[in-house]
Amino acid sequence: MMQNLPWLFLVLPLVAAAADWLLLARRPRMAAGVSITSVLATLVLCIACMCGLQTGTPADYTWFPVQGIDLSLGLLIDALSIKMMLVVTGIGALVHIFSLGYMKGDPSNHSRYFAGLSIFMFSMSCIVLANSLVLTFIGWEMVGFSSYLLIGHWYHKETAADAAKKAFITNRVGDFGFLIGIMLTLGLFGSLHYADMAGHMKVAAGSPVLTAAILFLFCGAVGKSAQFPLHVWLPDAMEGPTPVSALIHAATMVAAGVYMLVRLQVSMGLYAFTDTACSVIAAIGAITAVLSALMAAQQDDIKRVLAYSTLSQLGYMIMAVGLLAGEAAMFHLYTHAWFKALLFLAAGAIIVCCHHEQNIWKMGGLRQKMPLTVLCFLAGTCALVAVPGFSGFFSKESILEAAWGRSLPLFIVGIVVAAFTTFYMVRLCLVAFGGRARTRDAEQAHEAGPSMLVPLFILAAMAIISGYGFVADRLVPFADFHAESTEWNVTFFAGLGSLIVGGGLAWFMYAKSAADSAQSDPFGSHIISRILRRRLYIDSFYDHLLIGGVQRWFTCLVSCIDDGVIRRLVGHGLALLTAWTGRLLSRIQGGSLRGYTVVASLGVFLLILLLIILF
Amino acid sequence: MSTPNLISAAYTWGQFTPSFVLVGLALLILLTDAFLPRLNKQLFPLVGSLVTATLACFTAGSSASALFTTLACAATAVCLLMAYDYRSVVSASVAGGNHEDGVAEFSALPLLACAGVCSLIRSRDLIMLFVSLETVTLASYAMAGYFRRNQGSVEAGVKYLILGAVSTGLMIMGAAWFFGTTGTFMGDTRFLLAALSNPYLSAGVLISVGLLLAGVFFKAGAIPMHTWIPDVYQGAPTPVSAFLAVVSKLAGFAALLIILLPLIYLQSTVSDMLSSLISVLAVVAAGTLLVGNLGAIPQQNTKRLLGYSSIGQAGFILVFFISLKPTIVGPVFNYLLAYGIATLMAFAALATLRMQRGSEELSAFRGLGKTNPRTSFLITVSFASLAGVPLTAGFLAKLSSFQALVSTINLPHHIIYWLLPIMIICAAAGFYYYFKVLRFMYWEKPEQNDTPVHFSPVCIAILTIGTLLLLVLGVTPLIF
Repeated sequence: MMQNLPWLFLVLPLVAAAADWLLLARRPRMAAGVSITSVLATLVLCIACMCGLQTGTPADYTWFPVQGIDLSLGLLIDALSIKMMLVVTGIGALVHIFSLGYMKGDPSNHSRYFAGLSIFMFSMSCIVLANSLVLTFIGWEMVGFSSYLLIGHWYHKETAADAAKKAFITNRVGDFGFLIGIMLTLGLFGSLHYADMAGHMKVAAGSPVLTAAILFLFCGAVGKSAQFPLHVWLPDAMEGPTPVSALIHAATMVAAGVYMLVRLQVSMGLYAFTDTACSVIAAIGAITAVLSALMAAQQDDIKRVLAYSTLSQLGYMIMAVGLLAGEAAMFHLYTHAWFKALLFLAAGAIIVCCHHEQNIWKMGGLRQKMPLTVLCFLAGTCALVAVPGFSGFFSKESILEAAWGRSLPLFIVGIVVAAFTTFYMVRLCLVAFGGRARTRDAEQAHEAGPSMLVPLFILAAMAIISGYGFVADRLVPFADFHAESTEWNVTFFAGLGSLIVGGGLAWFMYAKSAADSAQSDPFGSHIISRILRRRLYIDSFYDHLLIGGVQRWFTCLVSCIDDGVIRRLVGHGLALLTAWTGRLLSRIQGGSLRGYTVVASLGVFLLILLLIILF
Repeated sequence: MSTPNLISAAYTWGQFTPSFVLVGLALLILLTDAFLPRLNKQLFPLVGSLVTATLACFTAGSSASALFTTLACAATAVCLLMAYDYRSVVSASVAGGNHEDGVAEFSALPLLACAGVCSLIRSRDLIMLFVSLETVTLASYAMAGYFRRNQGSVEAGVKYLILGAVSTGLMIMGAAWFFGTTGTFMGDTRFLLAALSNPYLSAGVLISVGLLLAGVFFKAGAIPMHTWIPDVYQGAPTPVSAFLAVVSKLAGFAALLIILLPLIYLQSTVSDMLSSLISVLAVVAAGTLLVGNLGAIPQQNTKRLLGYSSIGQAGFILVFFISLKPTIVGPVFNYLLAYGIATLMAFAALATLRMQRGSEELSAFRGLGKTNPRTSFLITVSFASLAGVPLTAGFLAKLSSFQALVSTINLPHHIIYWLLPIMIICAAAGFYYYFKVLRFMYWEKPEQNDTPVHFSPVCIAILTIGTLLLLVLGVTPLIF
């Protein structure tokens, strides 16, 4: 019994979701209570596990046996997974509580919202605790589904419905690759269990198929962690409620790709990741980091700025994975989870208090109206831009350190991205918090309520301290993690330099317009700004060339086949056939008793005849 | 030892306790109704249901006969609960609705039929088998034609009676041939072997087995004896249709197991006969699958649809018999369990709709997803399980049927190569016609004057417990 305790991580949120959905659809307060209870219970369980509660290996679950392949589902409880669970359940719990305040007064169905959160907690726990790629994949699809539900929570808003669809479909593209990767892995290793992979490495090592398998698995991460070229869904996903953005699209789900890759590195061994695979992964990470940092620099929507910054931070992590620095990737994942959740939740508090205004050029002067929230936001900003002493500084440093040792171009990319990060965050803070209120909404802003502030304080504390060795050594989701003390070396000064350059540039460009309460970005009409605002035309490229061009032609072709062959030939043929059989049967089943008796007697006669003939 | 002694030595009185209890209860209900006319007649179906449910708990055990008895009693209890809900229709159809005459008999008949099933499960010779089977059938005749003011019900009763008489005749003829060739009514292997090794007698044994099978196929709903099913299900009162679909079918498959199991134990010595028997069973299974599943496609009446569905599902159960191993008892029971739960749920929902929307057509389900979202979910689970959607018990049941066929791949008869495609087509057809109900619930809009259907607590309880069972059985690998 005791050994199966970890299954509660999955069962509790699933039961909560089912209860919310099926029983408490009209009792939003109870639904919220159930969801919060479940997430708090899993948090307590997680802390107990970390404090040395030994549960033993949970029993595997086999739905039904299939000959030859072991598809049983099981949980893998180790340092990596259980500490990752702390991030998931910890931030999950805070977001659940924050949601109480955030959704107050919202007319949508809260039961549905909390059911969505619970189903997300279930699916995320599947990914984190999975002992094989099978369960990982199930969780992978389920997070996609719950993300779809939550982005589209305000489904009557067309943009939200579209964004939900976009996120789902874009993810499907990545998932398709992921599935191919899983098949290749199964073919190579003969097993999908993480524990078996190292043992089968001898057979697989050096094979180009292994590289292909890893790259296909990486496709899954590209979709889920929103890496270039599938990054387009994440900014749009900001249409969902802000706590959802904090939990799913900043702290946990989007980090699942990084987690999965690190899990593979740990279980296959580093040498499974060949040079080709590593270069591709690192390059994709670096490209995402640069592009999204550029795009973030000219966004006006507070959530979109944060969304692009999430993209670029995820790029950092993927880059670290490609540099075979899984430790640094997980360190950054962990600090990023706390401070980005903080930034999003603080942004959420700001948005609610400004009557759902998200444009930073319509805010202004918030430092006087809601000082506590703004202070928390600033703490998160300091962590994000890697001010020495804040958590983000330590983790970014460790990634830059890894890049410095292996590849100069990637190191430079890291530094440039850091400078841009500082630029857009300082711009955001100056415009939104500095100067005077630009609109009535901003003028009427007031401090957020306690259910929002308390999670913010906890997260702010984590954003500051979580990078120091005494916390990080215990909490970073990596076996035997050890935070290194800061040295006065190249990376330190490069980081500091990028901080000063980026911050200085933003101050130089925006301090004046912030103080003057400008109504829009003074550089908004500049050609570079326009390109950046149009997201480097990547979305337009997809819309026009891929969807409008390639896909349209492809659709034509498919619909020709569908219409001509499948509908006319197969469909109508089948319909005719069934109609024909149906008529035949109804002739037999015409209700005539005599007919029935004839059929029965004749049938029995034939049956006995057959029995004798075959004897 | 002479035949009568042989038979009586095979049984103990204690084995038949459930049958005695049920018959006693049925008589008690009839007498109470006659002598205490003032008594509230609602009590009869409730008491009957309660006693059969208790009996189900008492008879529960791990042996095959205990399992089958429990399922039969539990299903009868559910049918009686449905009859409790249905009592207004019963009195309207029997006595014109002025008073509740006829409820007592309507509650007593299923008890008698169930008593027959219980003794059938324990029978070891053809006499007992025949008598038990006839007990079930006689009670069912009366039940099917119970609504004497309803033309459909009367027609159903008559059709069932006449076709039942044909099957009874075939079966008794089979028993006679069996006795003539082997000199015994028992499935005794020594006599059977002696008969089969004699070239003059072996054809007679085959004829007898064929005739016996025909009688059993009538109950199980396999071709060529399936013809009564759509008409009788459609015409009979809904709780009776449910009873016929579940309890009566269970009796048929129990009888089939009883007839075939002695042959299975002879496997090595009578391989010639077994191989021809297996081929015939495969042909019957294929025909039953095709007739049931393709015939269901054009149906618009839900009860008729469920009738064809019960034929189709019987085809999947017959597939188990192709492997002819003693281990098939478990999978057959599991299949009957999954099928029984889902079918009872479907009939329970249909009974309520029949009473409130006055229609048994598929269109009676229109817009339920809007007006009764939660109940619709429960109904969805039942039809999904019948179709075999993963995570429901029906999926694992169908899967085990496929696995049973696949396990015969190394046998020389090669049945798998032509039967497997048929099974796949039929399983796919199942998705089509079961989901027609779901289409009406979720895709069709409710009509303007459609109010939410009021499902009685009894019906909701049946649906909820059934849903839980289907889902739990569908995800726990313990049983399947």
